[in-house]
Amino acid sequence: MEHVIVSFQTNRFAYIDGEKAGITNDVLRVEAGTHEFDLGNLKNYKPESQEVEVVGTTVLQPLKIVFTRKDK
Amino acid sequence: MGGRFVALVICALLLSACGSFPVNPPLARYDPSAGYRFDPIPDEPDKRDEMFVILVFSGGGTRAAALSFGVLEALRDTPIRWQERDTSLLEEVDVISSISGGSFPAAYYALRGSDTFTEFPERFLYQPVQSDLVKRALNPSNWFKLAGPSYGRSDLAAEYYDEKVFGGAMYGQLIAAHRRPFVILNATDLTTGVQFPFVQDQFDLLCSDLAGVKLSRAAAASSAFPGGLSPLTLKNYAGDCDYHQPKWVGNALKDRTSRVNARRTARADQRLGYAESVVDLDSQKQRPARPYIHLTDGGVADNIGLREPLTAIANRNNAWSVLQRIDLKQVDKLVVVVVNAATNPQTGRDQTAKVPGLLDTISTVASIPLDNYSFETLDLLRGTVKEFNEEMRLISGCKALASNKGPQCELDIPTPHQIDFFAIEVAFEYIHDDDERNWFKNLPTTLELPRETIDRLRAVGRTILGEDKEYQRLMKQLNGGS
Repeated sequence: MEHVIVSFQTNRFAYIDGEKAGITNDVLRVEAGTHEFDLGNLKNYKPESQEVEVVGTTVLQPLKIVFTRKDK
Repeated sequence: MGGRFVALVICALLLSACGSFPVNPPLARYDPSAGYRFDPIPDEPDKRDEMFVILVFSGGGTRAAALSFGVLEALRDTPIRWQERDTSLLEEVDVISSISGGSFPAAYYALRGSDTFTEFPERFLYQPVQSDLVKRALNPSNWFKLAGPSYGRSDLAAEYYDEKVFGGAMYGQLIAAHRRPFVILNATDLTTGVQFPFVQDQFDLLCSDLAGVKLSRAAAASSAFPGGLSPLTLKNYAGDCDYHQPKWVGNALKDRTSRVNARRTARADQRLGYAESVVDLDSQKQRPARPYIHLTDGGVADNIGLREPLTAIANRNNAWSVLQRIDLKQVDKLVVVVVNAATNPQTGRDQTAKVPGLLDTISTVASIPLDNYSFETLDLLRGTVKEFNEEMRLISGCKALASNKGPQCELDIPTPHQIDFFAIEVAFEYIHDDDERNWFKNLPTTLELPRETIDRLRAVGRTILGEDKEYQRLMKQLNGGS
């Protein structure tokens, strides 16, 4: 089991491989391997999605995947 | 001339009487929101599962069916106070995954709910199913059907189960009833050796509509014991329903060379395998590379029935991912009850220097890898529990170490949503009394057992469940203890 934090300024749903996965800024569990992360259909964030190989994390050192608010 | 004509007519009639398997219907259009699937993730917080209960019924013929039924009875008779209402543990069961003999009580409970307890024993458990199946196979009126190249003994068995056990019920009835538990009857794909669960997510791969498949055929496929019963056939319509794979499949394939998660890549490959196509030489059109899928006993791939639930517990990339629900904070307690009817018959082989016979050697060698795999599967469950528990131990250990150096060193470590995981095992090896344990571990695998044996199996299932330490811990928690 791997651990990630999908980081964003506010708490909202995070999506992994197109499925609702949890809340941003929480520690989420995911199986090792390549995954696609995004924050759903309200596209006020960037980048639009991130493809990341998740491997070698621990619950104490989760991989941080950072999204930021998109400038209007 | 007249005689020849009559002979020709008789031949034609005989050929037309030759059986062909009842073809599973095609799926007009892929719809991920329709069909026999586990409920989608609810948006309303009050609809969360909180306690997620999975039952797993192993293979083992009527022995497994009776043991599993005994556990169902025990869970029905276990009152709990849950979410401010009085209920039973059985009412809280969300999923049943089953193999072979265990598939009969699982499917029947999905279909008939609480009526199972009055109907199932007389409809199945106490019936001489094996003798009846042999009689049907020997009945000359069935010989012409069996002479058909696409009709086998499992098709005949499915007809028997349909008539005597399931009353013509189809998966469409389970969809219409829309109630839990979600029941997964598992067979094995004979060609790939991979588990084949009877759920719409799997039938999507074949572009086939599970709603139009009879429960009896799923039970027959799940219990098509190699040798005694033939494999059972499904038609593959892949490519005809606008199906698209979930996003994780493409991502898993990217990991092939890095081998970072070979198990996930293999699962992706298995899904894609059903959709592989070739050009038909006659029509010059694309057709599935495997236009027919032959299924054998679920026990060939996993005789416990636990692999599919373990994938759901430890992976997001699963049609009913429990992990997804845990991280969405919809599950606080996870309960897995494994009912394992495995035996270990005594043998006099080692009492003599005589070289073991061919039949003894072949039958033993065929079952040893399955038993070893079952052991590994159960160990994987224990490992999964350990993995969940270890997260919290690591975090609290770090916090304790840091705080020892003074309050200024206290750590605020973000933690994933924690669950209490109860892995409960009902198996003959946990019977305390040596003689009783040996008696149960020497029961045969057959679809017919004496009434007294059935009753003892029902009773012992209840006893072993009640004595399981994890079950006792769960009961203590549910009844207000810590």
